[in-house]
Amino acid sequence: MSPGPLLFGAALGQLAGMIVSRRAPRFWLPATLASAVAALGAALFVLGGGAEWQWRSDFAIAGDSLHLRLDGLSAFFLVLVAVVVGAGAVYSREYWTDAAHPRSATAGRFWWSVLALSLGVVLVSSNGLHFLIGWELFTLAAFFLITLDRQRGEVRAAGWLYLGASHVGTLALFAFFTGIAARTGGWDLGPMRGHAELAPLFWLALFGFGLKSGMFPLHIWLPSAHANAPSHVSAILSGVTIKIGIYGLVRFTGWLPVPAAAGWTIAAAGVVSAVLGVAFALGQHNLKRLLAYHSVENIGIILIGVGFGVVAVAHGSDAASWGRLALAGALLHVWNHGLFKSLLFLGAGSVLHATGTREMSRLGGLWRAMPWTATLFALGAVAISGLPPLNGFVSEWLVYLGLFDAALTRGAAAWAVVPAAILLGVTGALALACFAKVCGVVFLGAPRSEAAARAHESGPAMRGSMLVLAAACVAIGLAPVMFWPAVARAIGAWEPAWVDATPPDSLAVLGWAHLVLAALALAGALVLWRRAHRVTAPRALTWDCGYAAPTARMQYTAGSFAGIVTEWFDWILRPVRHAERPEVPFPEHAGWTSHTPETVLEHIVHPVGGVVMQISAATRRLQHGRLAAYLFYLLVGVAALGTIVVIDVSQ
Amino acid sequence: MNAFAIAFVEFVVRLAGWLVLAPLLPGIINKVKAWVGGRRGPPVLQLYYDLARLWQKGVVLSTLVSPGFVAGPAVAWVAVLGAALLLPLGPIGASLSFHGDVLLLIYLLALARFCMAWAAMETGSAFEGMGAAREVSYAVLAEAALITAVLALSVHSGSVTLVTMLTPAAGAGAVLLAAGLFTVLLAENCRVPFDDPSTHLELTMIHEVMILDHSGPPLAAILHGASMKLLLFAVLLVEAVLPLGGLSRLAAAGALAAGVLVVTVGVGLVESLMARLAFRRVPLLLTTAFLLCLFALLVAWKGGDA
Repeated sequence: MSPGPLLFGAALGQLAGMIVSRRAPRFWLPATLASAVAALGAALFVLGGGAEWQWRSDFAIAGDSLHLRLDGLSAFFLVLVAVVVGAGAVYSREYWTDAAHPRSATAGRFWWSVLALSLGVVLVSSNGLHFLIGWELFTLAAFFLITLDRQRGEVRAAGWLYLGASHVGTLALFAFFTGIAARTGGWDLGPMRGHAELAPLFWLALFGFGLKSGMFPLHIWLPSAHANAPSHVSAILSGVTIKIGIYGLVRFTGWLPVPAAAGWTIAAAGVVSAVLGVAFALGQHNLKRLLAYHSVENIGIILIGVGFGVVAVAHGSDAASWGRLALAGALLHVWNHGLFKSLLFLGAGSVLHATGTREMSRLGGLWRAMPWTATLFALGAVAISGLPPLNGFVSEWLVYLGLFDAALTRGAAAWAVVPAAILLGVTGALALACFAKVCGVVFLGAPRSEAAARAHESGPAMRGSMLVLAAACVAIGLAPVMFWPAVARAIGAWEPAWVDATPPDSLAVLGWAHLVLAALALAGALVLWRRAHRVTAPRALTWDCGYAAPTARMQYTAGSFAGIVTEWFDWILRPVRHAERPEVPFPEHAGWTSHTPETVLEHIVHPVGGVVMQISAATRRLQHGRLAAYLFYLLVGVAALGTIVVIDVSQ
Repeated sequence: MNAFAIAFVEFVVRLAGWLVLAPLLPGIINKVKAWVGGRRGPPVLQLYYDLARLWQKGVVLSTLVSPGFVAGPAVAWVAVLGAALLLPLGPIGASLSFHGDVLLLIYLLALARFCMAWAAMETGSAFEGMGAAREVSYAVLAEAALITAVLALSVHSGSVTLVTMLTPAAGAGAVLLAAGLFTVLLAENCRVPFDDPSTHLELTMIHEVMILDHSGPPLAAILHGASMKLLLFAVLLVEAVLPLGGLSRLAAAGALAAGVLVVTVGVGLVESLMARLAFRRVPLLLTTAFLLCLFALLVAWKGGDA
């Protein structure tokens, strides 16, 4: 038994999906699902203890022969790709139907298959050239998926920003891979920590992969792209594709030597991303944009774990125990964030589908019409806030343990660990505040608009795919030990010296504690519910200080809920506020709006871009179409070259 | 079998202790406040009477609320109880102890906070939204202080397990840590100077305003949970400062009870002698608590080097 045939089957499934996406759309979903199951099987085979799979062929693409490899690390990420590709495909059959989107549904299916296939190629190719081809293909596929709804101007703008930013990152990766190829004499990739001369290339990788993963301050493209894409696309972008950036970072910090500052830099970037990501999320009023900023936060948490893992490797075998915990937390958080963020985006998609708006200030009280969506979204919210007994807490707990254990060593790493641990705690509390706000404003209270009042629950396909993702979140939360072998296998592929298949004892205890907590919480809720409804509970107006005619507009809004915290972060959020105060004794009009723009984009990238554009515009004056002037340029050029040659010869 | 029976009995006694003793604390605080104010005040057992009466009462629900309005307080109560059971009690240890249990304790309290904020948002009331917003926002700073305090204890004892962390005294940094933790206790339990539990003006409340619409058994669960949380913080503070783990069972129980009493009376005195802070001052005081814990951490760090 080898995962090879399964992987080829999966690839064939996606190719078949591309072919049938136009002519026979009803076969598209089975093909995609079969492919996802095959890929999942291959990945689980390797993670379950099977041998890593390598395949070399004389068949050449772009002049280089194929070299595929499925080791613990790529299999670990492949699981996430397979699960989210499958769930998103099911969701899309109801969410982005041919009837509702006749112009783009076909393209949506086609590019979904391309995206899935190219993600797989990136994960299994062990050749720099083919990695880049897969990378470019998946960037393009994601661009076309983001711009499916390209009649809207903001979608086109988000798409262009994504495309431009991605290619800046790809440029860095071109330099990275050609740098490796130039120094090793071939495109072939593999463990090569012995080549110390490769270490400086790490900075290129950090830029390229960091940009793709949405690391602060390279995240500028992420919020608008994830907010404006169709929701199933947002789910895979946020759940999976940004994790491919993490994959690249983990892959090449494992295979290549890194400079001494690498781990510290990754961890510092992680801390900044985590805190500022959630701060920006708190400032948002658009549900999907808010979720997008939470991706920046969670990538930060992952980077903290990865960064201290890299630091631990540099510290030698003494640091292995805490380094392993931090890295395990980071890797498990890759899965966890992929699951609950996809769940949340699909939930946001259901809200959008039912109400037609993403503005939280127009929503409210949706639980009544959409009990399934509300419950599943709440579950995702508890998970992403890192609360027990769900999966988000398990991975954050592992990262914390790594940090605390490192602090106990009182070594050089300990100084960096203390602020990281404290800020991780701050991040958790801020995320809790943010999701209390989202759940409260979107699903609870009274509907704030007609659209919210007329909402409806989504159909079985949309609910089903959310249920699968939610079940996975619960499973990892309640039985984390079951998933440890997969994490251990991925760690082993990263740092062979750290192989340890036995889970930490406390992880098993934590799983049991979660199980008991979940059971008691359910039982407690049931008991209290029955006690409260012993006699029929009369219903009355919400008590508003005796006010008899409360309206939905009196409720706390997203902006007012987050007001206290966003004020603390004014220095970076730079919100734009516009107030019309009621002034005359009987004011007819008053208003208040606030908007939190993307600070890095508007205050750094746009001004710098503006300067570049001005310089470019100035140079354009040289290009005016007058032949005489061009001849003059030629003359000047030849004269300059001649002067250089003459001076050179005379020396 | 015998050992199992003993463990079971011990667990039941511990559970009963947490459940039964917790409502005593608010009673003592109120008695201290009455005493300082020269009044007779309500009986120490007043909260028990209130809880019994609320448990018997019916419920009035807002027209807007979902089942989460009742489930929230229940889950929050379970979470606080779970956190309490993780806390070791001197030499008899905790019900459940493992590497990293202290983080579970902190996050169980966070879970309780999330559930309470959820239940508050259920009603669609501006007041309760305001209370929830304040609760979750100020908790950010309180959590930073709490994690720093935990780090200080960890570094001092060289462990991330509560039982080992709380066995010795906090060493030279104990005073700093006690001051920091006491401030966090006041903030997390919504006491003066952060919040005034006996105020009657909704605009100035945090915790009380979140539960305006709760009545009957759910309100009983909330009040009981709040008293357990207060006891939990008091026990944590006492154990962080006193080396209870080294004492005999009887001495430890006495020291713990005396310590908790001192903390409770201290809360009552603060409440009698201070006014509630203006809300924009709250972050400042919490940052001070954080800094106190940070200095305690530094002391623990240097103390270990010497």
